Amino acid sequence: MELQDLQYAHAEYIETASGNKVSRQSVLCGSQNIIINGKTIIMTDCMIRGDLANVRIGRNCVISEGAIIRPAFKKFSRGVAFFPLHIGDNVFIGEDSVVNAAQIGSFVHIGKNCVIGRRSVLKDCCAIADNTVLPPETVVPPFTYFEGSPGRFTTELPESTQELMINITVGFYEHFKPIGKPRGR
Amino acid sequence: MAVSARHDRGSIKIAPDAIVCEECTLVGEITIGSRTVVHPKARIIAEAGPIVIGDFNIIEELVTIKNRNTDSSQKAQVLIIGNNNVFEVGADVECLKIGDNNIVESRAHVGSNVELTSGCIIGAMCNVSCNEKLAENTVIYGSNCERRFQRDKPPAQGLQIDFLSKILPNYHHLRKPPKSQKA
Repeated sequence: MELQDLQYAHAEYIETASGNKVSRQSVLCGSQNIIINGKTIIMTDCMIRGDLANVRIGRNCVISEGAIIRPAFKKFSRGVAFFPLHIGDNVFIGEDSVVNAAQIGSFVHIGKNCVIGRRSVLKDCCAIADNTVLPPETVVPPFTYFEGSPGRFTTELPESTQELMINITVGFYEHFKPIGKPRGR
Repeated sequence: MAVSARHDRGSIKIAPDAIVCEECTLVGEITIGSRTVVHPKARIIAEAGPIVIGDFNIIEELVTIKNRNTDSSQKAQVLIIGNNNVFEVGADVECLKIGDNNIVESRAHVGSNVELTSGCIIGAMCNVSCNEKLAENTVIYGSNCERRFQRDKPPAQGLQIDFLSKILPNYHHLRKPPKSQKA
């Protein structure tokens, strides 16, 4: 199935030199602590909390509308800390999901309206269904599909997950086109 | 400050040591107690009557606390929130009475006829809206909103509040109480 072009008003998004497209309507707190590696799309009404801890997002990620990326909090015997949040490459995060994870690998698909619990670890090549609630400190192994509330393992993913996720995210980026840009590409 | 234009309806009282970010939406008559942390993009809307928030609460981003008029024949009621409560990302709270030490997790919805006593936990994405008073230490969890009671109350978030009140002023403009209010 060929992806449909998704058009956005040119004035709505900022495009950086490395090809990131960040909506002007998104909220990036503590932007000096947020690293986005390139060709990543951050859509309208997203929120990334760089003020709590460092957030690093890989290449070719898609953060859909209304998603919240927020480093998780942990209490230690002496004092407290927010965990830095690393997201790998080719990760898709669906609309209105709340991501409190400690680490997200590469080629991960997170559906719409998910709540990823505090300090969860999502390994490479896993997927989370729409409306899933992952409890805090869940570890999602590679090539697994988690569903439900609380999120449980349901099926395995095919070995081609890596290629599928690359196709989805790269395709999404290519079909995410501006309208009203002064000089067309 | 274009943002502050939205705040000026009604009177807002903020304790001097509360941390209330400038980017949150406060509408109507609101009182915020000491050491309470309100993250950016939280919405506290006192539409039908005043909202009183106690001490040591954490209100995270995109939380909506709304005093909504359900019955127009009734007199305006005050929405009262006690101490040491945590409202996690995207929670939607309309209930008029909340005690102490409650946790409302991400995207949970608490309707206007519910009363939270103390030590209650409303799990992520759970919806409570029938007319009832939740017993102390009730935990609501899972996709079917199952219930159980827990033995001890949830831990206090004092350390997190200390940390947030250190870190948030570095990155956000804070709403400060007007000078006349400092007693």
